[in-house]
Amino acid sequence: MPEIHAPLLDMYRTMLTIRRFEERCNALYMQGRIPSTLHLYIGQEAVATGVCAHLKDTDYVLSTHRPHGHAIAKGVAPRDIMAELFAKATGCCKGKGGSMHVGDMRVGMTPAIAIVGANAPIAAGMALAQKRQGEGGVTVCFFGDGAANEGAVHEALNMAAVWGLPLVFVCENNLYAASTSFEAAFAIEHVADRGQAYGIPSLIVDGNDVQAVYGKAGEAIERARQGGGPTLIECETYRLCGHSRSDPRTYRTKDEEALWQEKEPIGRLAATLERLNLATAEALDHIEKEVVAVVDEAVAYAESSPDPEPTDTLQHVFWGED
Amino acid sequence: MAKLTIAEALRQGIREEMERDPRVFCVGEDIGVEGGFGGAFTVTLGLSKEFGHERILDTPISEIGIAGVTIGAAMAGLRPIADVQYGDFLFCMMDQMVNQAPKMTYMSGGTVKVPMVMRAPVGSTRRGSQHAQSPEAFFTHIPGLKVVAPSTAYDAKGLLKSAVRDDNPVLIFEHKLLYGSKGPRSESGALSPIGEVPEDDYVVPIGKGIVRREGTDVTIVGKLLTVYRALEAADQLAEEGISAEVIDPRTLVPLDKELILASVRKTGRLVIVEEDNLTGGWAGEVAAIVSEEGFFHLDAPIKRVSAPDTPPPFAPVMEAFYVPSAERVVQAVKASLGEGWART
Amino acid sequence: MGVSVPHQVLVPPLGQTTDTVTLATWYKDEGEEVEEGEPLFAIETDKATLDIEAQASGILREVSVPEGQEVKVLSTVALIVGAREETAVEEAQVPSVAEALSVSEGRPSPIVRRTTPTLERLFISPRARRLADAEEVRWEELSGTGPEGAVVERDVRAYLKRQARRTITPLAERIAEEEGLDWRQLEGSGPSGRVTKQDVEAAIEARAAPTLQRPGVSPESAALRPYNEPLAESPLDGVRAIIAERMARSASETARVTLTADVDASALVALREQLSRDGYSVSYNALLLYILGRALRESPALNASLQGGMLRQWKRIHVGLAVDTDRGLLVPVLRDVDQKRLQDLSQETEDLIARARTNKLQPDELTGGTFTLTNLGMYGIDAFTPIINLPETAILGVGRIKARPVVEGDTVCVRPGVWLSLTFDHRMVDGAPAARFLQRVVQLVERPHLMHM
Repeated sequence: MPEIHAPLLDMYRTMLTIRRFEERCNALYMQGRIPSTLHLYIGQEAVATGVCAHLKDTDYVLSTHRPHGHAIAKGVAPRDIMAELFAKATGCCKGKGGSMHVGDMRVGMTPAIAIVGANAPIAAGMALAQKRQGEGGVTVCFFGDGAANEGAVHEALNMAAVWGLPLVFVCENNLYAASTSFEAAFAIEHVADRGQAYGIPSLIVDGNDVQAVYGKAGEAIERARQGGGPTLIECETYRLCGHSRSDPRTYRTKDEEALWQEKEPIGRLAATLERLNLATAEALDHIEKEVVAVVDEAVAYAESSPDPEPTDTLQHVFWGED
Repeated sequence: MAKLTIAEALRQGIREEMERDPRVFCVGEDIGVEGGFGGAFTVTLGLSKEFGHERILDTPISEIGIAGVTIGAAMAGLRPIADVQYGDFLFCMMDQMVNQAPKMTYMSGGTVKVPMVMRAPVGSTRRGSQHAQSPEAFFTHIPGLKVVAPSTAYDAKGLLKSAVRDDNPVLIFEHKLLYGSKGPRSESGALSPIGEVPEDDYVVPIGKGIVRREGTDVTIVGKLLTVYRALEAADQLAEEGISAEVIDPRTLVPLDKELILASVRKTGRLVIVEEDNLTGGWAGEVAAIVSEEGFFHLDAPIKRVSAPDTPPPFAPVMEAFYVPSAERVVQAVKASLGEGWART
Repeated sequence: MGVSVPHQVLVPPLGQTTDTVTLATWYKDEGEEVEEGEPLFAIETDKATLDIEAQASGILREVSVPEGQEVKVLSTVALIVGAREETAVEEAQVPSVAEALSVSEGRPSPIVRRTTPTLERLFISPRARRLADAEEVRWEELSGTGPEGAVVERDVRAYLKRQARRTITPLAERIAEEEGLDWRQLEGSGPSGRVTKQDVEAAIEARAAPTLQRPGVSPESAALRPYNEPLAESPLDGVRAIIAERMARSASETARVTLTADVDASALVALREQLSRDGYSVSYNALLLYILGRALRESPALNASLQGGMLRQWKRIHVGLAVDTDRGLLVPVLRDVDQKRLQDLSQETEDLIARARTNKLQPDELTGGTFTLTNLGMYGIDAFTPIINLPETAILGVGRIKARPVVEGDTVCVRPGVWLSLTFDHRMVDGAPAARFLQRVVQLVERPHLMHM
């Protein structure tokens, strides 16, 4: 038990940071202060957090159009992400990427890939390089239930298995791909079955239980580090917000949403921490204040940052030629 | 200095780069299989014996996977040379080749590089529509992707090396009839230009074209196989006293447009010949550039000699109709000279 | 129709005195396209140098006599082969010069017509246009050999080469070289300003006599200097320069002949008075324009232009009226003179003259004329020799209406009379048709009631 104290508190902080960050983005968007649409990670924080807790800066994460949670969990500074959402020159992608492409290679967060499923073969390539480099590096590829039907994912699963790549596939099954339900897109019960089909050890985990995610992800990542090849982890979770900002969510029932609201990960972890006397209410409150301060600072930083020059449009087409 | 075919020159270039830099490796279908062909056109023949199967990496039939793995490996510090067995299969990996590789450096704000090479054989060779296309025009339109098209052994090795050393995605188009592949993989109707290839470490810079033949009456621009059609046409025209200048751009993106413009300033006439169908083709882009930037040097409308707007046909007699011939180039040159042309 | 057998190019006989001449200059090369009526080669006798025109169209072949060689008169010096068959222009109003000639000479006419893309628009490639502008070549007058009949670079270059060749005859050049004379400074007295043997010999003589040379002073002004000084000085530019250039060009290019007629103006004067009594004030210019409209309709050969080797008779009749203004001579154009009522012509004339004098004319009111009317009667001039307004064929000059004694039967009475002076370009129309036209004008002036017929 004691050895998981520190990680649990850290993970609480991480999840809360993601939550407050995403809520703030939503508010800012409603106020018209953020230029683009957003795909928020509210409700899924445990998946990113539990997985990334095991990763070093030299491990890679590939993400999707809904990347803020992965980015924060992987260690990208919230202010750099916020500045990117505000389309500022100080953003993590210098204003060239936007919400769906946030990343920072210095901490191993690959700029996110907004074509769902296309990140899987790229993840295989990165894992292939790590295998060649022989330093125990691991790549994690996050994708959703919708992306699991893309041909690219199948090709990547197959190649990862054939070559025994140090690649952990994490499928965040939040039951909906935009508005299409899981039942409408799958003839099988679990995405994890797909992994089996390609010869990859696969498992299902409660994606809203950060300890469970942490435990299973840890095993898979360690196996990959030791040369044991790929794993597919299907995390059952739920996005408590809409798909994007312009989503009234009329394809889900209020009852369903209420059900998952009760199971949401942050409240669960808070309850666990208090029950096990690992944190007092004040300590959690203190963390809350610190997290809000971080988010406030990120917004202030973003708003006071300069806009890019219009002619910045012409830069960075080719590496090394600007 | 050895005389090599293009396939041999490419092989030599790949070998030298792999020896020079351990990060370089090849990935593709059937490229390293023991007892196999060395890729569909023998380019990687024998390399797996020298470098092993990790660095000559055979893949399942998964074009999206091949492209994605190439991109990812490049982003993570290796320098892959991918082999797409037929240029037509590039379309199977379009998302990776359009949305991923060329955009990554840009949308990351210049913080991520993708130093990869993708090699693609093109051209019509009696295999039917889906193994015959010359798809260069689809790829010359993508910002962030460099495209080269060597038509001699010297250029093939030199451009391959430049491509490997470039920190950007580079697509190399090779023509099936120009490889000079021997044995069971030889092509009927191949030209097999054999050229001298130095053994030392030379590169052909990306972005520099070359004048294959000097002339004064008309500029003919071709690529890959049509460079040879242009040269044939130039020979025929010379017998009638018409002096044609033939330009091989060697790189399609970035195009050496100054070379073409300087030539048109001299000759006043431009004929562009391509193996690709007319509408929306590469020749249209070259024509637009010259009519914008060289208008007042033109003595006649620019002419394009392209394949008709059909998929590539199978029957040899139709293929001969489809692929621009030297005769069609000659006709285009004469049309731009005008009926009243006479030796002055 | 076209020439189907090769046409022999002969050295024409030049009168009975000579039987050999020198073939001085070829204007076309072997293999070059030749058009009927254009200068093909020049021959030189000890008296003069003459341009000989091609008698057929086609490609010049088998040039057997080089420049500078002596040749017998009536010998064949080349062939013109494969004249191009071309579609006749559907409004077939354009007889070629050859046709006109052959009709009068009784030969079957080898009619060959060029079609240009349209009758109005001529095309030139951008490259050729740059060259033409730089070399001040009037490309509109060249025939194009490029795609779609456009003028291309080689056409401009060929023209420049021909021009260069015309500056001196080979014989004169030889003499000049032998005498060490730089002939480029000389004014040529030969056709198209070519320097001839006479010019060179004259220059050699003049060279022998010392002349007064002062730097920056021309011989003419040097002669005047001690005796005079300028009252006013201005460079020749603007409207004056344009007039100067056009007049000089007209004078040098056209084969001008002026026909004059002494016309009884009594009916014209009476008509004008009658109209005036009924409240219509019309000028004599308007009356003449009205008359010209009808006469020109009957004589389309006088309503024609020579452009780029094409003789064009026009469908519509637009007559320019010469107007003196303080900026110089302007010629506003009245359009469709044959379609308008006298009243309209009168009002339009007044309006154009007024606006010409107050510098309020639009540019396109000064172009497009097919004939010109010039009236110096108000200055008391009787008859004069007007200069043709290029590219028109003819111009009608009107003098003053003056009372004079006229014999009628046995008595002498006083009648108003007016001189009409018609200058026409003999290159395009001959004396007889021009005279017939003038005759008709005279008839309509003297008996205006015939205009209704």
